[in-house]
Amino acid sequence: MAGSVVGAGLIIEGEFTSDEAVVVDGTVRGTLTTGEAISIGGDGVVEADLQALSVVVAGQVTGNVTASARVDIQAGGRLIGDVKASRLTIADGASFRGNVDMDV
Amino acid sequence: MAYASVIGSSAVIRGNVRGDSSLEILGRVEGDVGVTGDLSLGRDAVVVGAVSGARIVIGGSVQGDITATEAVLVAETGRVVGDLSAPRIGMSEGAHVRGSVRTEGASSVPASSSRSQQRASESRTSEARTSEPRAAAAPIERSAPRPVLAASSAPSLAAAASKPMAKKTAPPPIIVAPRPGARARKKLARR
Repeated sequence: MAGSVVGAGLIIEGEFTSDEAVVVDGTVRGTLTTGEAISIGGDGVVEADLQALSVVVAGQVTGNVTASARVDIQAGGRLIGDVKASRLTIADGASFRGNVDMDV
Repeated sequence: MAYASVIGSSAVIRGNVRGDSSLEILGRVEGDVGVTGDLSLGRDAVVVGAVSGARIVIGGSVQGDITATEAVLVAETGRVVGDLSAPRIGMSEGAHVRGSVRTEGASSVPASSSRSQQRASESRTSEARTSEPRAAAAPIERSAPRPVLAASSAPSLAAAASKPMAKKTAPPPIIVAPRPGARARKKLARR
Protein backbone atom coordinates (compact mmCIF):
# COMPACT_ATOMS: atom_id res chain seq x y z
CA MET A 1 0.00 0.00 0.00
CA ALA A 2 1.06 3.50 -0.69
CA GLY A 3 2.86 5.38 2.03
CA SER A 4 0.47 8.29 2.11
CA VAL A 5 -3.09 8.65 0.93
CA VAL A 6 -4.75 12.03 0.82
CA GLY A 7 -8.31 10.78 0.71
CA ALA A 8 -11.35 12.54 -0.73
CA GLY A 9 -12.34 15.44 1.48
CA LEU A 10 -8.92 15.93 3.01
CA ILE A 11 -7.07 19.19 2.41
CA ILE A 12 -3.35 19.57 3.03
CA GLU A 13 -1.89 23.04 2.83
CA GLY A 14 1.82 23.53 3.14
CA GLU A 15 4.98 21.63 2.53
CA PHE A 16 4.52 17.90 2.13
CA THR A 17 7.61 15.71 1.90
CA SER A 18 7.86 11.94 1.95
CA ASP A 19 10.10 9.03 0.97
CA GLU A 20 7.14 6.87 0.08
CA ALA A 21 4.48 6.87 -2.58
CA VAL A 22 1.71 9.44 -2.30
CA VAL A 23 -1.82 9.07 -3.62
CA VAL A 24 -3.95 12.21 -3.85
CA ASP A 25 -7.72 11.87 -4.08
CA GLY A 26 -8.28 15.00 -2.00
CA THR A 27 -6.60 18.38 -2.18
CA VAL A 28 -2.97 19.40 -1.75
CA ARG A 29 -1.80 23.00 -1.84
CA GLY A 30 1.81 24.09 -1.50
CA THR A 31 4.58 21.71 -2.39
CA LEU A 32 4.63 17.92 -2.60
CA THR A 33 7.94 16.12 -2.69
CA THR A 34 8.64 12.41 -2.52
CA GLY A 35 11.33 10.00 -3.62
CA GLU A 36 8.66 7.63 -4.90
CA ALA A 37 5.61 7.88 -7.12
CA ILE A 38 2.88 10.47 -6.88
CA SER A 39 -0.54 9.51 -8.18
CA ILE A 40 -3.30 12.07 -8.51
CA GLY A 41 -6.66 10.32 -8.75
CA GLY A 42 -9.60 11.43 -10.83
CA ASP A 43 -11.02 13.56 -8.02
CA GLY A 44 -7.64 14.76 -6.79
CA VAL A 45 -6.84 18.46 -6.88
CA VAL A 46 -3.25 19.61 -6.58
CA GLU A 47 -2.26 23.25 -6.51
CA ALA A 48 1.35 22.63 -5.78
CA ASP A 49 4.75 22.07 -7.26
CA LEU A 50 5.40 18.35 -7.47
CA GLN A 51 8.70 16.56 -7.28
CA ALA A 52 8.89 12.77 -7.40
CA LEU A 53 10.30 9.70 -9.06
CA SER A 54 7.20 9.49 -11.23
CA VAL A 55 3.92 11.35 -11.45
CA VAL A 56 0.60 10.07 -12.74
CA VAL A 57 -2.07 12.70 -13.29
CA ALA A 58 -5.68 11.58 -13.59
CA GLY A 59 -7.07 14.58 -11.73
CA GLN A 60 -6.22 18.26 -11.74
CA VAL A 61 -2.78 19.69 -11.23
CA THR A 62 -1.82 23.33 -11.22
CA GLY A 63 1.89 23.67 -10.66
CA ASN A 64 5.25 22.62 -11.96
CA VAL A 65 6.03 18.94 -12.09
CA THR A 66 9.52 17.50 -11.83
CA ALA A 67 10.02 13.76 -12.09
CA SER A 68 13.30 11.88 -12.19
CA ALA A 69 11.67 9.04 -14.14
CA ARG A 70 8.40 9.90 -15.85
CA VAL A 71 5.19 11.87 -16.00
CA ASP A 72 1.95 10.41 -17.30
CA ILE A 73 -1.09 12.52 -17.91
CA GLN A 74 -4.03 10.18 -18.24
CA ALA A 75 -7.30 10.67 -20.08
CA GLY A 76 -9.39 13.12 -18.08
CA GLY A 77 -6.30 14.40 -16.35
CA ARG A 78 -5.53 18.09 -16.43
CA LEU A 79 -2.13 19.65 -15.92
CA ILE A 80 -1.35 23.33 -16.00
CA GLY A 81 2.34 23.93 -15.40
CA ASP A 82 5.76 23.06 -16.63
CA VAL A 83 6.96 19.50 -16.79
CA LYS A 84 10.55 18.48 -16.29
CA ALA A 85 11.04 14.78 -16.87
CA SER A 86 12.93 12.52 -19.23
CA ARG A 87 9.70 10.79 -20.24
CA LEU A 88 6.28 12.25 -20.68
CA THR A 89 3.09 10.69 -21.94
CA ILE A 90 -0.11 12.57 -22.59
CA ALA A 91 -3.11 10.34 -23.13
CA ASP A 92 -5.84 11.08 -25.62
CA GLY A 93 -8.38 13.19 -23.77
CA ALA A 94 -5.93 14.72 -21.34
CA SER A 95 -5.51 18.48 -20.93
CA PHE A 96 -2.12 20.07 -20.68
CA ARG A 97 -0.78 23.57 -20.81
CA GLY A 98 2.83 24.29 -20.06
CA ASN A 99 6.40 23.82 -21.11
CA VAL A 100 8.16 20.52 -21.39
CA ASP A 101 11.80 20.05 -20.51
CA MET A 102 13.18 16.60 -21.28
CA ASP A 103 16.88 17.23 -21.06
CA VAL A 104 18.81 15.01 -18.68
CA MET B 1 -9.63 -0.11 10.82
CA ALA B 2 -9.31 1.47 7.43
CA TYR B 3 -8.85 5.20 7.32
CA ALA B 4 -9.72 7.11 4.17
CA SER B 5 -6.49 9.08 4.40
CA VAL B 6 -3.05 8.13 5.57
CA ILE B 7 -0.01 10.26 6.19
CA GLY B 8 2.78 7.76 5.85
CA SER B 9 5.58 7.11 8.29
CA SER B 10 8.17 8.91 6.18
CA ALA B 11 5.91 11.85 5.45
CA VAL B 12 6.58 15.31 6.87
CA ILE B 13 3.98 18.03 6.48
CA ARG B 14 4.70 21.62 7.38
CA GLY B 15 1.29 23.16 7.20
CA ASN B 16 -2.28 22.40 8.01
CA VAL B 17 -4.30 19.29 7.40
CA ARG B 18 -8.07 19.47 7.46
CA GLY B 19 -11.18 18.03 5.92
CA ASP B 20 -14.10 15.60 6.19
CA SER B 21 -11.98 12.50 5.87
CA SER B 22 -10.95 10.03 8.50
CA LEU B 23 -7.19 10.15 8.89
CA GLU B 24 -4.34 8.03 10.13
CA ILE B 25 -1.06 9.79 10.81
CA LEU B 26 2.08 7.69 10.93
CA GLY B 27 4.52 10.49 10.10
CA ARG B 28 5.08 14.04 11.20
CA VAL B 29 2.84 17.08 10.93
CA GLU B 30 4.01 20.53 11.96
CA GLY B 31 0.74 22.37 11.86
CA ASP B 32 -2.86 21.99 12.85
CA VAL B 33 -4.78 18.82 12.09
CA GLY B 34 -8.56 19.10 12.00
CA VAL B 35 -10.86 16.49 10.54
CA THR B 36 -14.55 15.75 11.08
CA GLY B 37 -13.92 12.02 10.87
CA ASP B 38 -11.91 9.74 13.11
CA LEU B 39 -8.25 10.37 13.66
CA SER B 40 -5.49 7.98 14.62
CA LEU B 41 -1.89 8.79 15.46
CA GLY B 42 0.44 5.86 15.15
CA ARG B 43 3.15 5.04 17.63
CA ASP B 44 5.80 7.02 15.72
CA ALA B 45 3.54 9.86 14.68
CA VAL B 46 4.38 13.39 15.76
CA VAL B 47 2.04 16.36 15.58
CA VAL B 48 3.15 19.82 16.60
CA GLY B 49 -0.09 21.77 16.53
CA ALA B 50 -3.70 21.58 17.53
CA VAL B 51 -5.54 18.35 16.83
CA SER B 52 -9.27 17.87 16.40
CA GLY B 53 -11.53 15.09 15.20
CA ALA B 54 -14.53 12.94 16.08
CA ARG B 55 -12.84 10.00 17.79
CA ILE B 56 -9.12 10.42 18.31
CA VAL B 57 -6.64 7.73 19.24
CA ILE B 58 -3.21 9.01 20.24
CA GLY B 59 -0.49 6.41 19.96
CA GLY B 60 2.25 8.91 19.17
CA SER B 61 3.29 12.34 20.29
CA VAL B 62 1.26 15.54 20.25
CA GLN B 63 2.40 19.02 21.23
CA GLY B 64 -0.80 20.99 21.13
CA ASP B 65 -4.37 20.98 22.28
CA ILE B 66 -6.59 18.05 21.42
CA THR B 67 -10.32 18.47 20.95
CA ALA B 68 -12.71 15.69 20.00
CA THR B 69 -16.43 15.85 19.37
CA GLU B 70 -16.82 12.27 20.62
CA ALA B 71 -13.83 10.78 22.38
CA VAL B 72 -10.10 10.87 22.92
CA LEU B 73 -8.08 7.80 23.80
CA VAL B 74 -4.45 8.25 24.77
CA ALA B 75 -2.86 4.86 24.21
CA GLU B 76 -0.01 3.52 26.32
CA THR B 77 2.53 4.79 23.80
CA GLY B 78 0.89 8.20 23.58
CA ARG B 79 2.54 11.42 24.69
CA VAL B 80 0.57 14.62 24.94
CA VAL B 81 1.75 18.08 25.92
CA GLY B 82 -1.38 20.19 25.70
CA ASP B 83 -4.96 20.32 26.82
CA LEU B 84 -7.42 17.51 26.23
CA SER B 85 -11.09 18.21 25.73
CA ALA B 86 -13.79 15.73 24.74
CA PRO B 87 -17.06 14.28 26.06
CA ARG B 88 -15.20 11.04 26.72
CA ILE B 89 -11.50 10.77 27.49
CA GLY B 90 -9.59 7.57 28.02
CA MET B 91 -6.02 7.17 29.12
CA SER B 92 -4.08 3.96 29.09
CA GLU B 93 -1.48 3.05 31.66
CA GLY B 94 1.88 4.29 30.45
CA ALA B 95 0.50 7.28 28.58
CA HIS B 96 2.25 10.58 29.17
CA VAL B 97 0.04 13.62 29.46
CA ARG B 98 0.89 17.14 30.54
CA GLY B 99 -1.95 19.61 30.35
CA SER B 100 -5.45 20.13 31.51
CA VAL B 101 -7.93 17.38 30.87
CA ARG B 102 -11.58 18.21 30.57
CA THR B 103 -14.48 15.91 29.83
CA GLU B 104 -16.75 18.62 28.59
CA GLY B 105 -20.31 18.51 29.85
CA ALA B 106 -19.39 16.72 33.06
CA SER B 107 -17.63 19.84 34.48
CA SER B 108 -16.21 19.57 38.02
CA VAL B 109 -19.39 18.51 39.78
CA PRO B 110 -19.12 15.22 41.70
CA ALA B 111 -21.35 12.48 40.36
CA SER B 112 -23.68 10.58 42.81
CA SER B 113 -27.11 12.22 42.94
CA SER B 114 -26.85 14.32 39.83
CA ARG B 115 -25.52 11.64 37.50
CA SER B 116 -28.54 11.53 35.26
CA GLN B 117 -28.56 15.30 34.95
CA GLN B 118 -24.89 15.25 34.00
CA ARG B 119 -25.49 12.66 31.33
CA ALA B 120 -28.30 14.68 29.93
CA SER B 121 -26.17 17.80 29.91
CA GLU B 122 -23.29 15.91 28.34
CA SER B 123 -25.29 14.84 25.34
CA ARG B 124 -26.97 18.18 25.10
CA THR B 125 -23.88 20.33 25.40
CA SER B 126 -21.34 18.25 23.54
CA GLU B 127 -21.62 20.67 20.67
CA ALA B 128 -22.73 23.77 22.50
CA ARG B 129 -20.15 24.20 25.21
CA THR B 130 -21.06 27.73 26.17
CA SER B 131 -24.59 26.95 27.31
CA GLU B 132 -23.54 24.19 29.68
CA PRO B 133 -22.26 26.10 32.75
CA ARG B 134 -25.36 28.28 32.93
CA ALA B 135 -28.02 25.71 32.14
CA ALA B 136 -26.85 22.42 33.58
CA ALA B 137 -24.02 22.91 36.07
CA ALA B 138 -25.33 25.90 37.96
CA PRO B 139 -28.39 24.31 39.62
CA ILE B 140 -26.33 21.28 40.65
CA GLU B 141 -23.70 23.42 42.32
CA ARG B 142 -26.35 25.47 44.06
CA SER B 143 -28.09 22.52 45.66
CA ALA B 144 -25.13 20.27 46.41
CA PRO B 145 -23.04 22.20 48.96
CA ARG B 146 -26.02 23.60 50.82
CA PRO B 147 -27.01 20.68 53.09
CA VAL B 148 -23.37 20.08 54.04
CA LEU B 149 -22.89 23.63 55.21
CA ALA B 150 -26.21 23.76 57.00
CA ALA B 151 -25.62 20.52 58.85
CA SER B 152 -22.02 20.94 59.94
CA SER B 153 -21.53 24.64 60.56
CA ALA B 154 -23.48 27.52 61.96
CA PRO B 155 -26.48 28.60 59.87
CA SER B 156 -25.15 32.15 59.81
CA LEU B 157 -21.96 30.95 58.16
CA ALA B 158 -23.91 29.07 55.54
CA ALA B 159 -26.03 32.09 54.90
CA ALA B 160 -22.99 34.34 54.65
CA ALA B 161 -21.15 31.95 52.36
CA SER B 162 -24.04 31.60 49.97
CA LYS B 163 -25.42 35.12 50.03
CA PRO B 164 -25.60 35.55 46.26
CA MET B 165 -27.53 32.32 45.92
CA ALA B 166 -29.62 32.85 49.03
CA LYS B 167 -31.77 35.42 47.30
CA LYS B 168 -33.18 32.74 45.02
CA THR B 169 -33.27 29.83 47.42
CA ALA B 170 -34.39 31.58 50.60
CA PRO B 171 -38.01 32.38 49.63
CA PRO B 172 -39.38 28.81 49.74
CA PRO B 173 -39.32 28.48 53.56
CA ILE B 174 -41.05 31.83 53.85
CA ILE B 175 -43.75 30.76 51.43
CA VAL B 176 -44.05 27.30 52.93
CA ALA B 177 -44.23 28.46 56.53
CA PRO B 178 -47.44 30.56 56.43
CA ARG B 179 -49.46 27.85 54.69
CA PRO B 180 -49.75 25.38 57.58
CA GLY B 181 -50.25 28.39 59.80
CA ALA B 182 -53.13 29.55 57.66
CA ARG B 183 -54.64 26.08 57.46
CA ALA B 184 -54.25 25.65 61.17
CA ARG B 185 -56.00 28.93 61.70
CA LYS B 186 -58.88 27.82 59.48
CA LYS B 187 -59.10 24.54 61.37
CA LEU B 188 -59.12 26.45 64.58
CA ALA B 189 -61.76 28.78 63.18
CA ARG B 190 -63.99 25.80 62.21
CA ARG B 191 -63.77 24.47 65.67
